[in-house]
Amino acid sequence: MGTGPRPHVDGFARRIGDRVTLGNPSRALIPLALIALTLWLPAYADVQGPDGSTFSFNGFGTAGVVHSSEDKADFTASDFEPTGAGYSRSWSASVDSLIGGQFSATFTPQLSAVLQLIAQQNYNDTYWPHIEWANIKYLITPDFSVRVGRIVMPTFLDSDSREVGYGNPWVRPPTEVYSANPITSVDGLDASYRLHLGRVTNTLQASYGRNLAFSFANGSKFDARYAWGIFDDAEYGAALVRVGYLSSDITLNDGGALFDAFRQFGPQGAAIADKYQIVDKSTSILTLAASYDPGQWFVMGEWATSRSESFLGVNDGWYVSGGYRVGPFTPYLTYAQITQRNNSSPGLNLIGLPAYLAPTATALNADLNQVLNSRPDQYTWSIGMRWDFMKNFDLKLQLDCINLGAGSAGTLINVQPGFEPGSTIFLISSVVDFVF
Amino acid sequence: MPPTNRNGWILIGLALGLICRVATADIVVVVSAKSPVGALSKAQVEDIFLGKTIRFPDGALAVAIDQPEGSAIRNEFYDKVVGKTAAQIKAYWSKIIFTGRGQPPPSVSNTVEMMKRISANPAAIGYIDRDMMNDTVRAVF
Repeated sequence: MGTGPRPHVDGFARRIGDRVTLGNPSRALIPLALIALTLWLPAYADVQGPDGSTFSFNGFGTAGVVHSSEDKADFTASDFEPTGAGYSRSWSASVDSLIGGQFSATFTPQLSAVLQLIAQQNYNDTYWPHIEWANIKYLITPDFSVRVGRIVMPTFLDSDSREVGYGNPWVRPPTEVYSANPITSVDGLDASYRLHLGRVTNTLQASYGRNLAFSFANGSKFDARYAWGIFDDAEYGAALVRVGYLSSDITLNDGGALFDAFRQFGPQGAAIADKYQIVDKSTSILTLAASYDPGQWFVMGEWATSRSESFLGVNDGWYVSGGYRVGPFTPYLTYAQITQRNNSSPGLNLIGLPAYLAPTATALNADLNQVLNSRPDQYTWSIGMRWDFMKNFDLKLQLDCINLGAGSAGTLINVQPGFEPGSTIFLISSVVDFVF
Repeated sequence: MPPTNRNGWILIGLALGLICRVATADIVVVVSAKSPVGALSKAQVEDIFLGKTIRFPDGALAVAIDQPEGSAIRNEFYDKVVGKTAAQIKAYWSKIIFTGRGQPPPSVSNTVEMMKRISANPAAIGYIDRDMMNDTVRAVF
């Protein structure tokens, strides 16, 4: 490892989010207060207006803990949690726990609106609720709708209900695929067209928008502009096939110090900085997914390739998961993997440089290649069980065995001195999910 | 422990018979007698109740109505016709609700209420025990 400055790249994807918090500090008291508030609210409110309009309130939540066998790095579930299980806490409740509430209003058969708030660990380590969705939907025909406002960017099969644990078979969607997604929602608009061809229902959706720029605690600014995506779902009975493409121009002034150092080396250094620095860099994700759920059992899989014209390079992630239902119990097994395509750079050409600059240039080149190779590389076996133990509640227990690729810290963050890359890590997670 | 006398076996036989009867209670999917909708396939009924379509095959609007949550007839309908347990159906709708893509069918408090709603609305579709059939509704599945 070189001695030069090194950007904080271990968790690029993890620190990207669109969340806008409603306030500042305070910690674990907030979710507790929210839980108290939601328990106080009527379990399910559905109010009919005099003119046929309806207003409803629904909620969902997850309370859980995770323990990691690795104490020199953090495991996190979501893209932007600043702390997790392992280094920050031996048993972490902040990885999976959250609570959400949604107000839905139907004004006319054509016009409806949704406001969803979620309280969970935010990128800046607060627990203030953020606005997950806030949009107005208009049905032009029963099968053709448009939405305006804060809308989901449905990159993945489970993007829509990623936060709703009760709707999912596992404790959390496989991070090997889901952490590849830099944008979960945008402020913009989308259109969805549903076509019925015999028993096949095809839904084509196009989305466009941007997510609000924000700064991380370390000062790094994130912005995703011109985000657009096209997603097509074809459903045939219990079978679903999905293909999606998402593109955005991303700016993340992470690694500024390293690239500033390169720029000191004249045009050739500037060219390297321009090539790898994330300033308005086109970033895309191509996804393919399929699932089959006839009721008694299910099997599903997803594949995602993310491609960025920056030091992030090209990464491939995929998983296959299946489960079998036995009464209220659903045991499941998942295999997930993420790999990085070869990413290296010759760096600065030492020939022609003054001799006294050669050691610095060599160190910078080493740092650059370290950064280029620090993308996640891992595979994970997960085995778990969902137990629907009472109405509107489930309990899940999951064991994960994460095998880090040689020299990689995988999707772990907050890597500490003494951490051994390439090791095998065990996680044990237990959550209770609920809807109300 | 197995029963040691003949009466014990008879009791078990009766109990099994009862369970089987309950399990095969005849459910019919019904629309208003005034509705022009013809017979539906299992798949078409499933699509309407899962919100995958809001129309009958002839293009007319379809409004699904559910029996009360937790009722035996509702659980059996979803088990037999859709192939999902009550918990699975709840999980399915959780995914739909929390993305603003829709709401589950409204539910009525009992079969009498169901009959009223269906007979009053040619777009309505529901399910009842066959024994409750009368001439205000018509079976389509």
